[in-house]
Amino acid sequence: MAIDLSRFQETFFEESSEHVETIETGLLQLEHRPEDLELLNQVFRAAHSIKGNSGMFGFTAVGELTHKMENVLDGLRNNEMEVTEQIIDLLLQALDGLKSLLEVARGSGTADEEAIKTIETKLLAYQNGTERERLEAGGPRAEVQDKGATPVAERPAVPARRLVTIMWVPLPELFQRGLDPGRIFQELASLGRIHTLTVNADRLPDLPAMDAEVCYLSWTVELETEKPLKEIDAVFDFVRDESELTIAEPSAPQPPASQEMGEDEHKRLGEILVEEGEITQAQLETSLSKQKRIGEILVEDHEVGPRKITKALEKQHRLDTVARAQRGETTSIRVGTDKIDKLINLVGELVITQSMMANLTQTFTMDQVPLLQERVLELERHSREMQERVMSIRMLPIRTAFRRFPRMVRDLAIKNGKQIQLVMSGEETQLDKTVIEAIIDPLTHLIRNSADHGIEPPEERVARGKPVQGTIKLDAFHEGGNIRITVEDDGQGLNWDKILAKAKQLGMVAEGEPLGKKEVWQLIFRPGFSTAEKVTDLSGRGVGMDVVKRNIESLGGTVGVQTREGQGTKFMIKLPLTLAIIEGMTVRIGREGYIVPLVSIIESVRPTKDMMKTIVGKGEVVSLRNMFVPVIRLYDLFAIEAEFTNPVQGVLVLVEAEGTKVALMVDELVGQQQVVIKSLEKNFQKVEGLAGATILGNGEVAFILDVPGLISLAKNGSSVLV
Amino acid sequence: MDKTVLVVDDSVSMRQMVAFTLKEAGFEVIEAGDGKEAVAKLNDGAKPNLVIADLNMPNMDGITLIKEIRTMRAHKFTPILMLTTESAEAKKKEGQTAGATGWIVKPFNPDQLLQVINKVLPG
Repeated sequence: MAIDLSRFQETFFEESSEHVETIETGLLQLEHRPEDLELLNQVFRAAHSIKGNSGMFGFTAVGELTHKMENVLDGLRNNEMEVTEQIIDLLLQALDGLKSLLEVARGSGTADEEAIKTIETKLLAYQNGTERERLEAGGPRAEVQDKGATPVAERPAVPARRLVTIMWVPLPELFQRGLDPGRIFQELASLGRIHTLTVNADRLPDLPAMDAEVCYLSWTVELETEKPLKEIDAVFDFVRDESELTIAEPSAPQPPASQEMGEDEHKRLGEILVEEGEITQAQLETSLSKQKRIGEILVEDHEVGPRKITKALEKQHRLDTVARAQRGETTSIRVGTDKIDKLINLVGELVITQSMMANLTQTFTMDQVPLLQERVLELERHSREMQERVMSIRMLPIRTAFRRFPRMVRDLAIKNGKQIQLVMSGEETQLDKTVIEAIIDPLTHLIRNSADHGIEPPEERVARGKPVQGTIKLDAFHEGGNIRITVEDDGQGLNWDKILAKAKQLGMVAEGEPLGKKEVWQLIFRPGFSTAEKVTDLSGRGVGMDVVKRNIESLGGTVGVQTREGQGTKFMIKLPLTLAIIEGMTVRIGREGYIVPLVSIIESVRPTKDMMKTIVGKGEVVSLRNMFVPVIRLYDLFAIEAEFTNPVQGVLVLVEAEGTKVALMVDELVGQQQVVIKSLEKNFQKVEGLAGATILGNGEVAFILDVPGLISLAKNGSSVLV
Repeated sequence: MDKTVLVVDDSVSMRQMVAFTLKEAGFEVIEAGDGKEAVAKLNDGAKPNLVIADLNMPNMDGITLIKEIRTMRAHKFTPILMLTTESAEAKKKEGQTAGATGWIVKPFNPDQLLQVINKVLPG
């Protein structure tokens, strides 16, 4: 039966990456708890599973590497080796190799085969080390099989049809093993014709002493067959070990049945010729090397030109790449059946409510208004619950983002000669899959900064009276409709004076300008601030912080910092749970409604006449508490008719993005509500200054403003509609 | 009547593959993710004609599972095949002593799987 196994490959890869994760976290923990046998068993089991399954799907390279890892792990498990940093290091390197091999098996990425070979050799060296120790201790020795000992030419010829005598005294517990002698005779019969079957009842005890579940019988079978002894012997595979078994040919004693079992049914022509001694392996290889690729042959035969072939090859390569990319794009989410069950339940409720309303409308009279209101309320409740449940499908524990960090911190600590422990909590906190994927980069950046620059070298820590080992804490938790993630270290903290001095030097802060604590720390997120400091690493902070901030803001989140010099720094990230729904403020301009994302709004003011000023080079600004904020007249930008063209009559909505504040001029504030983002790119095209559209309660379409986009638009002085 | 096989493996891909092969060949398939789940299913009244169990599993490994099954009245004589890797010679012995009927060495292809099943399943 031909069965295509490739359809199960996706599951295999998914499973393997889970195992890889188990191995990685396990190894990292083992370093601190080397005596934890259960942990070691877990790691071993994961490696063992990958090994076994990779074989099933024909990924030999994966199998070979994991096999060697498994052997070393087994050595650790049996106390033949000790858990040392070197072994963990080596195993982690092997794991990296394994990851790349899995990628290759998946059809993307590349593996450094040389490096993997080296790792394999090292793994073997460890394993052999224990083998040697075992030998020296007089323990059992691993059997060495000399496969070259049996010359291929001496293979016994296929025997003719003859009568083979088989004597079988089975083990008494035959039945308790689920074995059935009848099955064995059936199988023998399939190999030829059973000539005679003799039952030997000598061992049968007297009736009172007899145990009905024990096999006392033995058998002698004369089988007429042309099959080799090996095949007959194979029938007894599962019973041979504890049975007495003799299989005899009628004539001269035969050489014992070969132990090499399970040859491939399909053999290549060359292999057969070599086996039969017609040619040697060397001859075969020389001839094989003469084989040509189809492209070369076609060119030689002048069927097509070499350039055409090159083109076709390029196309092939391109197609491969595309196919690979497509494979990468199809992401799936595993959803618990309980979640789906609940959804189906809810759908049922919705259908019921809907039919009740349909019923009501058919025979509606005015006195039924309260009833109608009740139904509408019910409908609302159900749809809200439905919304929450559907959202929860996209929710994943943040663990998927966190899991890479222990390894990273370990590597960074070794590289920097520091001692750092990473304490993670709240890994089970759930948030939207897209948000999780997008938060990995900023988090990596923050943690790397903490490990590289925040945590001091050991000597320095001791001098300051701190524990030698530095701590980085990573925490996630829900708060209202948001998720908060904090990255905290007990390192040296930010240096107030240095930051301020640098900012002044860069002209970001005017001399004598009064700055609050918060404002100073926010300076590190300013673009340009970091790049200018790359060389000197201001207190180790600020490398690409503007990028971190921008990334988080693009997710609709915010990032803040708290620090105490000499004691540590804490970054606090606040993110929406999902990107599909946002809290928005509906504003009106003329007859149109627009949505301003609530996260970017600082305040709204109706300015007085003397607050409005025009500054050369900055244009129209509003003066707010000694701050001049540029004003964007949205009706101008969008080229629509507004009710008010005088800011004093309208409302200024103060928004902030990427450290820049602007005031958006609108006619009035309508109200705050949750809106579902509909993509413009998918349905129309990307429009500068708009993040998307949504449908309001009254059925009208409203655009959602993209605040960072608006700010850059206003800077360039162009209007949206050209 | 269709024969029923209980497939016990913690690896989903293995289970899927074995189950698929068996279903193609006309067997009914019950799946369990580890020994514990398998025991629970048997206690719930599952009556497989054959059990195929991986040895290396969390919660309850294959050897313990085999021993458990052999203590059940209904499954004293049910054939049990264990899934092993070539290196696990000692495990194979241990499994046999525990009461396993036979074994399938990984990696195997669907045909080999069906061949081995044919060996132990009464016709």
